[in-house]
Amino acid sequence: MEFKVSLGPQHPALHEPISLRMTLDGEIIRDADLKLGYNHRGIEKLAESRTFIQNLYLTERICGICSFSHQTCYTQGVEKLMELVPPRRGLYIRTLVCELERVHSHLLWLGVAGQEAGFESFFMYTWRDREVVMDILDIISGNRVHYAMNTFGGVRRDIDEIQRKRILDSLDLLKSRTEYYLHIGASEPTFVGRLAGVGKLSKERAIALCAVGPTLRASGVPMDVRKDDPYAVYDEIPFEVCTTDSCDVLGRTVVRVKELLESYKIIEFLLKNLPAGPIKVKAPRKVKENEVFSRYEAPRGENVHYIKSNGSDKPERLKVRAPTLANYPATIEMLKNGFIADIPLIFAAIDPCICCAERLVQLDNPRSGKSQVLSFSQLRHMANQRYKNVNFKKKESLWPF
Amino acid sequence: MNAEAIIEKINTDIKDKVQEVSLAAPLRINVKVARAQLLAVLQYLKDQFGFTHLATISGVDLGESFEVLYHMASSLATVNVRILTPRRDPKIPSVCTVIPGAILYERELQDMFGLVVENIPDPRPLLLADDWPAGEYPLRKDWHFNRPAEIIPGGK
Repeated sequence: MEFKVSLGPQHPALHEPISLRMTLDGEIIRDADLKLGYNHRGIEKLAESRTFIQNLYLTERICGICSFSHQTCYTQGVEKLMELVPPRRGLYIRTLVCELERVHSHLLWLGVAGQEAGFESFFMYTWRDREVVMDILDIISGNRVHYAMNTFGGVRRDIDEIQRKRILDSLDLLKSRTEYYLHIGASEPTFVGRLAGVGKLSKERAIALCAVGPTLRASGVPMDVRKDDPYAVYDEIPFEVCTTDSCDVLGRTVVRVKELLESYKIIEFLLKNLPAGPIKVKAPRKVKENEVFSRYEAPRGENVHYIKSNGSDKPERLKVRAPTLANYPATIEMLKNGFIADIPLIFAAIDPCICCAERLVQLDNPRSGKSQVLSFSQLRHMANQRYKNVNFKKKESLWPF
Repeated sequence: MNAEAIIEKINTDIKDKVQEVSLAAPLRINVKVARAQLLAVLQYLKDQFGFTHLATISGVDLGESFEVLYHMASSLATVNVRILTPRRDPKIPSVCTVIPGAILYERELQDMFGLVVENIPDPRPLLLADDWPAGEYPLRKDWHFNRPAEIIPGGK
């Protein structure tokens, strides 16, 4: 007998609306289905009626965490359409903000993972340190969330010697803290025990389902747009692509912590080798008829924008694919044969309050579409019947690990 | 292997299946194929060069026809495989047999452009609301958003 339990779209534990329907066999998830669209704002349609420069600020508002990723991906695409080459100092500052954003996003994620794993002090530590990065971003751009740093042909704000020194000082603090987190992640037995083996995604399935970012790299695939298709000044910067072969949530955590350490190296390199000169060049208003496919390595993975221009000052088409959409098919794969209690870890942002989500249980066969509503007393009776006849030896083979 | 070598190999191996191959920019290869040859070309790219990662599928409304672009990425280059499908008969084949991760992008195309993806494993709507009227496809150029008149309960 299968139970179908739905979570969301409106749920106190969900940070954003998404509907998740799981087919359960006891505690084990047999099948999962996602329903999206609760947060669809029609940005692609809206972009067609706005000018290129207006879209610069629209694309920034696609996401609140990786706002700079979308804006940079769009800006780099339009710069190629305009045949603009930004000055090197502009590109260095742009790359600097890219990496600072990666640091703040990964620290945020670590905190959420710690909280979902029941390691509250880890959450407190990483979010305290995240403030350091937010302050750096505040120093550079004057904003904490939407930096508004990009413009066609470079960046909008320069950094001076005092800012450079302050960023380097803060970086030393962050580096020592992150090394401590790597130490905790590798040696704290309860934390490792909670994360290891959860949300398995094999290398073959990760490639087949087109997963991106740390999810893919934790399954042992060294795909990183910064190396494969270098943009900005990544071809000049020495850095390594971090991978692990453990294919689980622990691996994804380790990849992110290692990426933090790589990001600090990149930021240090950028600040120590910052070239002198202008930060932007003048951009035209109208864009020739052409098309461009722009890729960017956001903190969550590969972010792509496809931009088609028609000779006017407005784009003919702007297609955005955020990394999370690419990771949904892989998430369903990870949920399968896992426990209900692992959903928050796998989703990393969903609280496992499933018992309070439903008062009435709907039994459903997802393939045939048949459903029936049962009261709890009937359900209890059915459950008792089932456990009377259960064959425990046979059940052991169904245990996920 | 660089992008030029890939173009050369495509030209020698499957010249009869592709209509046009060009280098649009560094690391960007544009390939135009007929609708019927799409699966064969994607399978060839996967087997021959290891293009396993489908970055996304973009749809563009060209008026008389729809353009559908399959952006295949690997560490070698990015190949944009382009097909055209007429507006009267907007059918495209499903590529889920070659690339299982394409499912969400194909469902999105069905929602937004009204394309009919043949043999799609899961044809349910993905993004649009449950009460979205049938036959309205928001990313088509002839679709315009008309904001419904605001009714204030108890207002004048």
